[in-house]
Amino acid sequence: MKKYTLKRLLTSLFTLLAILLVLFILMQLMPGSPFNDEKLNDDQRAVLYAKYGLDQPVLVQFFRYVGNMLKGDYGVSYNISKNTPISQLIQTRLPISIGIGGAAVALGALMGLILGLIAALKHGTFWDTIATIISVIGVSVPSYVFALGLSYTLGFRMQWFPMLYNAQLATQSSVLPSIALSMFTMASIARFTRTEMLEVLDSDYMLLAESKGISGPALIFRHALRNALIPIITVLAPLIVDLMTGSLVVEKIFAIPGVGSLLVNAIQSNDYNVVISLSFIYSAMYIAIMLVVDILYGVIDPRIRLAKEGD
Amino acid sequence: MKKFIALVMALAMALSMGIPAMAAEGAELSVMVETPVMSLDPQIATDGTSFEVIADYTDGLTQMDAEGGAIPAIAESWDISDDGTVYTFHLRDDAVWSNGDPVTAADFVFGWQRAVDPANASEYSYMLSDIGQVVNAAEIIAGEKDVSELGAKAIDDKTLEVTLNVPVSYFLSLMYFPTYYPVNQAFYESVGDTFGTSPETVLSNGAFIMDTYEPAATAFHLTKNPDYYDADKIQLAGLSYQVIQDSQQALMSFQTGALDTVLVGGEQVEQVKDDPQFLTVGAGYLWYVSPNIKDVPELANLNIRMALTYAINRADIAESVLMDGSIPTYTAVPLQFATGPDGSDFSADQTMFADYCADDAAKAAEYWAKGLEELGIDSLELDMIVDADDEPQKVAPVLKEQWETTLPGLTVNLTIEPKKQRVEDMQNGDFELGLTRWGPDYADPMTYLGMWITDNANNYGFWSSADYDAIIADCTTGELCTDPEGRWAALYDAEELVMADAVIFPLYTKANAEMISSAVTGIEHHPCALNRVFKNVVKG
Amino acid sequence: MAKTKTPAMAAVPYVPVAEDFVLKNASGELALDANFASQSFWKDVIIRFFRKKSAVIGMVLIIIITLMAIVGPGMNAYTYSGQTLTQKNLAPRVAALEKFGIFDGSETMRTTTGSKTVNNYIEKGLEDVYYWFGSDNFGRDIWTRTWSGTRVSLIIAAAATLIDMIIGMSYGLISGYFGGKVDMLMQRFLEIMNGIPRLVIVTLLLLVLEPGMLTIIFALMLTEWVGMSRIARAEMLKLKEQEFVLASRTLGAGKFFIIFKEILPNIIGPIITQVMFSIPTAIFTEAFLSFVGLGIPVPRCSLGSLISEGYNSFTTHPFQIIPPVVVMALLMFSFNLVADGLREALDPKMKEM
Repeated sequence: MKKYTLKRLLTSLFTLLAILLVLFILMQLMPGSPFNDEKLNDDQRAVLYAKYGLDQPVLVQFFRYVGNMLKGDYGVSYNISKNTPISQLIQTRLPISIGIGGAAVALGALMGLILGLIAALKHGTFWDTIATIISVIGVSVPSYVFALGLSYTLGFRMQWFPMLYNAQLATQSSVLPSIALSMFTMASIARFTRTEMLEVLDSDYMLLAESKGISGPALIFRHALRNALIPIITVLAPLIVDLMTGSLVVEKIFAIPGVGSLLVNAIQSNDYNVVISLSFIYSAMYIAIMLVVDILYGVIDPRIRLAKEGD
Repeated sequence: MKKFIALVMALAMALSMGIPAMAAEGAELSVMVETPVMSLDPQIATDGTSFEVIADYTDGLTQMDAEGGAIPAIAESWDISDDGTVYTFHLRDDAVWSNGDPVTAADFVFGWQRAVDPANASEYSYMLSDIGQVVNAAEIIAGEKDVSELGAKAIDDKTLEVTLNVPVSYFLSLMYFPTYYPVNQAFYESVGDTFGTSPETVLSNGAFIMDTYEPAATAFHLTKNPDYYDADKIQLAGLSYQVIQDSQQALMSFQTGALDTVLVGGEQVEQVKDDPQFLTVGAGYLWYVSPNIKDVPELANLNIRMALTYAINRADIAESVLMDGSIPTYTAVPLQFATGPDGSDFSADQTMFADYCADDAAKAAEYWAKGLEELGIDSLELDMIVDADDEPQKVAPVLKEQWETTLPGLTVNLTIEPKKQRVEDMQNGDFELGLTRWGPDYADPMTYLGMWITDNANNYGFWSSADYDAIIADCTTGELCTDPEGRWAALYDAEELVMADAVIFPLYTKANAEMISSAVTGIEHHPCALNRVFKNVVKG
Repeated sequence: MAKTKTPAMAAVPYVPVAEDFVLKNASGELALDANFASQSFWKDVIIRFFRKKSAVIGMVLIIIITLMAIVGPGMNAYTYSGQTLTQKNLAPRVAALEKFGIFDGSETMRTTTGSKTVNNYIEKGLEDVYYWFGSDNFGRDIWTRTWSGTRVSLIIAAAATLIDMIIGMSYGLISGYFGGKVDMLMQRFLEIMNGIPRLVIVTLLLLVLEPGMLTIIFALMLTEWVGMSRIARAEMLKLKEQEFVLASRTLGAGKFFIIFKEILPNIIGPIITQVMFSIPTAIFTEAFLSFVGLGIPVPRCSLGSLISEGYNSFTTHPFQIIPPVVVMALLMFSFNLVADGLREALDPKMKEM
């Protein structure tokens, strides 16, 4: 196990370095200079280039950049918030995004499990159809359409929840964005749970458990669901990552001061330094999640551990 | 399942009831802005939102009255030398910074020196040099002289003497432009690089004090400054800002009463146009198409350019596509921002250049046929570069459609680029047609006409006319400086040269559609410098 | 039992003749074993697939939508970019249905000063004008735009997935077949590729390259092939030790002949399933890019850009967002159904989804 973990850690580190390289190359290729404003003259541009070290040879820039990134020094924003260190921009935003994302994952996983269970247990009935329809809608409609629908109905017409993020009412104002974000997770988990549960329910050991006289909730939860859960956990990891995509637009709609809306702003105002830094942070988070899931999976399921060690 | 739904519903209800009715503490004004503040450093900031917020908590030597004129602020009076080149400002005694320091003439000198210091690369440094004509500003920006040689001197704590190269008729109205705002040197040096990044690192000498803020915040708040010299006149208890990028969300928030004033997108105008709370406000920006006259042989042909400008139906663009109150514009200088010596709008007469620019498909076809004949071609393909922003992407397809239907044989391809790339391409002459805009920096036609002199970086068409350059030089540094009426007439002559040569195809003067709660009065809107001023707002 | 043998016949012993030892239906060439096996396998798959109602529904929907994407834009006189500014924001109106009081061009405007029902066709004197799905805020026909947007979205998704399939499949097959060092290196590279979030790559690429359909296809292509190659590699590992490969190898077949001629046909099933799952992902990603402003440049449109255009008019003219959302949802839905159906049909051991 130790060997496997170590190997995974090393790959992750390499991946991170590779990403740094890719990001650096992309940054060099970005169209327009960050200081291409109508009102700046050439001398001023040269001063700004010198100030941010952009006049150095590419290699020097690269090593400085890698060093700074790994140290957590992401440089300063050129446009969104002039001269503000990007780490300062991210500091307050990351917790908000993680909070809403976390709530969305939890809600989506829970609702998905419930829907999937209902569909599997009431297989072939009206309830199955309803659950399937809900989960199909969840994967078929973009999250920003949900966000708009929710904020129009629950936020505007009913006025149950605030339509815009409000730091004083963080919990209430996170409700709508979390629901909008959770739809895709919910739908995917529901579909997956249904398949897994059907398979498990049909298996020989369930027959054995049943013949031993176990029945009702104990049968479902202790025996069936537990076995179905392992594969479900694996699909959850990529879904968490997919949430990042959704969060970009949902944060913009609900005016949430998170990293997603920051990235959208940075893209739209060509603040390349911020785009690159956020991309790096997203990548690092993504790699971390994949790493944790892989290692956890090894812990949960010894078959995988052995297989991977032999690999 | 039923139980679960019930539980969720109960939870939702509990949460919603838990929302405390936002206590209306006297008069807090909730304001929407479209973009976050980019910088709170008055000498670095360049955008409307930043300027507006900086001016909420900072006063300059003068401030804007409702019509955009300059009235005393930190300077309670001033003397102007007979030749109009020396301004002596007398600062009021009761103006203090929020840390207790008095506001002194040295604060202004420090702020202005920061603006021209080449190390700061302030984008608006030319407000002091080319526009303000402050002595030595241009040389300092070019790195030829030291900042201490700037023509702004503190005679004593309360007297500031400014020397100009030539008389500048609008100099007093530059004094409310944030680049000319004071900075307290001791405070600035104590916070260093973090200046303007939190409530603790900004200093107020104005009507409000920043009390919650972080860089690029989507919501922040200012409270009334009790030590403001004019504090009794300020009726608002505070200002709370909310950044909303989605115009639908903004309007819905306005309708629920969460915001007192919001911008309305063109798509929503139909919903609110009969509402008494709805109004449109001129924003000063001129949107125009710039042809590359130098490098594209077809566009060097005047008839082709004339055909293109006549083929545009500006009225349709403004009234049917934008619907936000934008005004179709047929002059190189947009409407409603520059008032002349006689008090009238410089561009009030939009038919002045009807012989060079109008919505006239028939004339366009005529010019087109003539142009094609001169060039000996029967079809033409042109590229237009367009910003990747919402508004240009709405206007560009309409232009393409209008051109292609009116001018047979013309194909216009749209290239969508990030704004900075578009600016770079246009400055390098690497384009055929470009859709661009320009906002007025100060209330004088020169803010536009200054662009088309030979070799100006924003003269995208690389048009050059010795007559034109001469008129402009005469109006900025020549003898017309001291003759407002003569200067005004000369500016019209210059504008006519631009229009007659179809150097640009003006489209419209931008306006903003807004909703302002009927409980609120006194929001002052301006097309240049400070877009909104809240000092005289009364709510309730 | 058809015939009863007579005792007399039973008594006479049968003398075999030469014809008895000739293969029946032998027309000169021998059909190979593999051929029989694969033919009946695919027949089975098709039967199983068509037995599943949901998969058939999905298939039919995809065919209908694709057909509409081809012929839909040409079904009326409007073009996707043609603007008639005097006829903007008209509600859906269909000649055959307006008698029944639906699709008659009237809409309820909910303004801040109250709501009112208007029929702009009549108010503007456009009695002879019909926009089946309504018109947008430039006076463009939403019907035409919806279907040409569907066309663009389908082309983007299909092209990206197809290229993904080719790259991913080759990569996976080669990596799996050669094994050892080659496999190790290729897998490490893949892990790194997989470590870069697709969102990040796609967004950055779209900033760097000129926006357009090819760029979007390229960006989508760069990220999706990893999953495809995993499946190809896994299948290859399963198959490469099997007898028919061994046989081929002993007969002197070249490496690439084995990979692409012998093994490839056997793994086409799982690959197609993966393709069916990839297409909706590509459509979705494109929609997201449109919303952030990195989608297909105006005046062209995709389902995603139509949704984000309609989005801005949601509270004013909700009919504008409905067609693209419905078409997109149906597409996503059908591709998922077909993919599920295929997966089951290919792997009958798997339980019904």
